[in-house]
Amino acid sequence: MIAKQSRRGWLKTSLAPMIVPGSVLGLNGATPPSDRVTLGGLGIGSRGGRVLQSFLDQSNVQFLAICDVRYDRRETLKSLADKKYGNSDCAMYSEQAEIFARKDLDALLIATGDRWHTPLSILAAKAGKDVYCEKPCSMTIAESRALADTFQRLGRVYQAGTQRRNGANFIKAYELAKSGKLGKLHTLHAEAGPGERWAPLTSHAWLPGQPEPHKQVVDWDRWLGPAPWRPYHPSYVMGRWRGYFDFHGGGILEWGSHTLDLCQWVGDFDATSPVEYEPAGMGGITPYHVACKYANGVKLMLRDKGFLGLGSCHCRYEGDRGWVETADGGKIAVSDNLKSEISDVPAKEAAEATTNHVKDFVECVKTRKPPRANALAAAQTHIACHAAYIAFQLGRKLTFDPATDTFLGDDQANRMRSRAMREPWGL
Amino acid sequence: MPQQPAPPPPLPAPMADSKYGSAEKIMALGAPELTALLKDSAASSYAKAKACQRLAVVGDARAVPALVPLLSDAQLSTYARGALEQIPGAAADDALREAAMRLTGAQRVGVVHSIGKRRDRKAIEMLVKLRSGDDREAANAADLALSRIRPVL
Repeated sequence: MIAKQSRRGWLKTSLAPMIVPGSVLGLNGATPPSDRVTLGGLGIGSRGGRVLQSFLDQSNVQFLAICDVRYDRRETLKSLADKKYGNSDCAMYSEQAEIFARKDLDALLIATGDRWHTPLSILAAKAGKDVYCEKPCSMTIAESRALADTFQRLGRVYQAGTQRRNGANFIKAYELAKSGKLGKLHTLHAEAGPGERWAPLTSHAWLPGQPEPHKQVVDWDRWLGPAPWRPYHPSYVMGRWRGYFDFHGGGILEWGSHTLDLCQWVGDFDATSPVEYEPAGMGGITPYHVACKYANGVKLMLRDKGFLGLGSCHCRYEGDRGWVETADGGKIAVSDNLKSEISDVPAKEAAEATTNHVKDFVECVKTRKPPRANALAAAQTHIACHAAYIAFQLGRKLTFDPATDTFLGDDQANRMRSRAMREPWGL
Repeated sequence: MPQQPAPPPPLPAPMADSKYGSAEKIMALGAPELTALLKDSAASSYAKAKACQRLAVVGDARAVPALVPLLSDAQLSTYARGALEQIPGAAADDALREAAMRLTGAQRVGVVHSIGKRRDRKAIEMLVKLRSGDDREAANAADLALSRIRPVL
């Protein structure tokens, strides 16, 4: 029987006797191929492009392939990678099966629209890839659970694109709370998406259909993927798919996947989620909130208004001896008794969150340890966001059992925990 | 060489069914009215899709006969399955099993996924046969469904 050899093992043993440039062997400060994480990307748009840039900045990462349903994006990403490496090696694919079949890829960056996040992540894990996936990571509670179960079962590394877990000011606020100087935490506040930008309720409407472009320009069938069929309209493809129920979870998923996530982290709730969800403000787009409560009595307020205006993605942690609030940009506010304990983070340092998050992922691909926003933590955050979103849609208080992902005594809410995927897609 | 997709024009007004109106209006209907809409030959695919999405939350066994014909519709089958996956009781299970034996291609694959989601034990024998059949996509779906109905311990 021939023992299987990993890509890195093969490189280590087979390259040594050859005459190769020093950089290939890791001389002159370069990372040898055996220590590089090889990466492919799916659906890289504007946000994905910024994440990809953080990957390209890592000397121990090599980006080798791009898959996209849009021709122009494939070409753009290939040009970017080829220019970076001074070659023409970056492969382009329109079918995801082709990039999954690449045995030489360690990991994939998934930055498609939300509807594709869970199915592609699961397919990638089954193909033996580690995954960095943009948020929101799932469309339903059921998808969130399937995501966590799959990555745990297959032992793959998963990092959700909730980069604030690696943002310097958010870490400082976390550490202050963990130090005990806030006293016993009793209320956590998470900013939901600003109602004026992302309404908490999404639309079930369709835009009037227009003729589909050639499949090589935009493959509409593949763009829709697991989302139910609707006629083509260019607005969806050009980024205006948010706000539609079939593609998006509204402001609660858009921002809550970041901020509720930070509250889950600071409260040691990475393996659970709140048990109560009570919505308010359903009459308009703002102000609105969902008042949640964990089993241990800690309250979580998911709300779009009423923060100190420090920046976007506010979080505020309140204990019986003090409070701390922070947001994008690095500013940190605290109760008067804690002013000597903490200071702002320079904006430039705060802006390194994505790069730090990417480094965390790359390191974990090598060590096989779970990154900060691993699959279980991400799943529990998204389950909480979906539960809050369902409560908001129904306009009533819901009670939830995190052990079974079931709403208690509410059949309609339970029927909203999953959706049918368009054939042939399934989990 | 292919060009970029055309830049999006200003957002037009959303679609509306000439008889039943907007998505919001359709989804405010009760289950009996939604079921009647599905049987109405004058209702558009848009209206039927929205009716199915609402029936997923409020529908019961009485909606099942109206949903079954949509399972073979390439545009609406996902919507019909979305309702059938959520409607409690044997009528939805029976309808999905019958459809799995009748349909072919992607629509059958979708129905098999729905059977798996409902963990319908009565479907085990049919899924085992499907798993060893010639239709590879249906066989893979049947395998996945079986793993949900009787997971390996």
